Amino acid sequence: MRRTLLFLTTGLLAIGLSVPAALAQQPNYAKVKEFRIERSVPPEAQACIECHRETTPGIFGDWAMSRHANANITCLDCHLVQPGDQDVSQGHEQYYSRSDLPWGEAKYKMPIAAIVTPKDCSRCHPDEATQYSKSKHANTIEIIWKLDPWLNKGMNSDSERKVGCLACHGTEIKIDDKGKIDPATWPNVGVGRLNLDGSKGSCTSCHTRHRFSVAEARMPEACDSCHLGPDHPQIEIFEESKHGTIYNAFKDEYNFKAAAGTWTPGVDYRAPTCAACHMSGTGKVPSSHDVTSRLSWETQAPLTIRPQDFKPFPSGTNWQDERQQMKNVCSACHGESWINDFYEGFDTAVEQYNEVYFKPAKAKLDDLYEKGLLDKTKYFDERLEVEFYELWHHEGRRARMGTMMMAPDYAWWHGFYECKLRFVNFMEEANHLIETGQKAYIAKDFPNATGDTTRPVKIFGDKK
Amino acid sequence: MKKYIIGGSLVFLGVLLSFPLFSMSYYTMVRTSTPEFCASCHEIKPAVVAWRSSTHTNNAAGVVVDCMDCHLPAPQDTFQFFFAKTYHGAKDVVKHFMGSAYDRERAREAAYAAFDNDSCQKCHRNLLYMPTQRGAMLAHRSVVYARPGYEKKCVDCHYDLVHSEKGLVMFRQTRKIPYQAKGLKQL
Repeated sequence: MRRTLLFLTTGLLAIGLSVPAALAQQPNYAKVKEFRIERSVPPEAQACIECHRETTPGIFGDWAMSRHANANITCLDCHLVQPGDQDVSQGHEQYYSRSDLPWGEAKYKMPIAAIVTPKDCSRCHPDEATQYSKSKHANTIEIIWKLDPWLNKGMNSDSERKVGCLACHGTEIKIDDKGKIDPATWPNVGVGRLNLDGSKGSCTSCHTRHRFSVAEARMPEACDSCHLGPDHPQIEIFEESKHGTIYNAFKDEYNFKAAAGTWTPGVDYRAPTCAACHMSGTGKVPSSHDVTSRLSWETQAPLTIRPQDFKPFPSGTNWQDERQQMKNVCSACHGESWINDFYEGFDTAVEQYNEVYFKPAKAKLDDLYEKGLLDKTKYFDERLEVEFYELWHHEGRRARMGTMMMAPDYAWWHGFYECKLRFVNFMEEANHLIETGQKAYIAKDFPNATGDTTRPVKIFGDKK
Repeated sequence: MKKYIIGGSLVFLGVLLSFPLFSMSYYTMVRTSTPEFCASCHEIKPAVVAWRSSTHTNNAAGVVVDCMDCHLPAPQDTFQFFFAKTYHGAKDVVKHFMGSAYDRERAREAAYAAFDNDSCQKCHRNLLYMPTQRGAMLAHRSVVYARPGYEKKCVDCHYDLVHSEKGLVMFRQTRKIPYQAKGLKQL
């Protein structure tokens, strides 16, 4: 009897334990993000949500997790346009001419546009959009067209530009004959994208769709999709620096979700990220979406100059004031002598790059052009042009940026060391040409130099 | 006693003379403050026609916002109001006969530049609590409590609102596309 009872209880217990476990482990259990519309949302916006949770569950789910959804900001608040606007989505309109209408009913038809611009964002975030519009980010298309030989001499193809340069810098959005967005210009989330409404840039470069997270933009990963590689390895430099080391070691403890205006060094984070120094408010320094405002040298320019003297896009700031702002940011964690002595080292490195490397090389290049040994018609088709370009555009930048953000390997091995080698080789070849009077070899088979050389009319007007 | 009689009759004389003067100028002000009067200038007529079809005249509350309500200082700034009105009236007449052709776009920009948020906020006072328009709540805070250096005008975002060339009567409550500010004009 006792034995039977034992069997029975063990058996029942076993069944009782295993059934819920089996239920919980049911494979392929669909997890659908719920969004019950329990607040005042216009019926048209409800229709968007109902359709798009089925047709584009990824977008819907992401939005549902966002602060926008939290604040009742729906699809319509950003994507609604006026009838007759250039960018009204034709595909979306066409859906309503179907006879079956499987998703939204005709009464919910609204003109919408796929592309949301900083101007759209400015409806609710006007100050942020205004700050951004003054930055080099927003105006980068103007800057590159004023400087860059790839574009101005048409040395790469339109496709190479779309997938390369303009993916970060931004395309000029155009509408094709069929009223659709020209695929040569889209998709694109470049920081300086020229939008149809005249605004510049894309907020989703850093606050990706459809979460639009503040936390994300505070992380260095928000910047690293563009700020990397041989010509501007800011993310690699950051990672090598102590700031990056501490970030990687302690990021789990960082409070990236602090409310706007409250993100505090020493409290919410132990060492700064890109945004912490370049944008966030610290102490008495107010935060700004003008990411280039706290700079005191243009370390990306061929010859390092002050931001107010940067001809393609003068900052309109005073570099001493901006340096003081940055020093105030530093002083949240560093003492005065640390900050001042660091800047002294930075200024010396910049001075040396300018005087010892750049200016003599530039003078030699000009000499070659003047003597007719190099040909000015195109760029990159003669070896010395490439050498000179890489001297400032690649290792010259690595040296300066590596110094600025305290990454010794980038300052020296990837930086000044490479500058030295490049300089010596450049000078050897240049002097050889001058001594022998021999003209440089011009590449006859330069590939894919087919890119359009017309400057964007939206910025430069019709004049050449 | 005699003193009082003289004084009293002087006051009486003053009232007798000034009353018609005041009432006449008041009458003139009222007569020249109607949209119909504004439309009597052919330069202004298209603006009045567009205004008539806008939501500032067509809404369920029956509120009609006249030209003066937006385009002149608030009547409580009496001196300002009278001065601005007289100045503009005189200027318009002179320009009509002496000036170059009327450029509507330039006039529009000049009007935006002249607008004062107070003019809009005479009527639009409850701007901060809009549970159905949380974005507008956020944006309006940055205007009402602007940070130094970030002062904005209502018309920076709300433009082409009244004098747009839709050619259709827009009735506020039956508007099919929800109203949205356009975002900063200067971007």
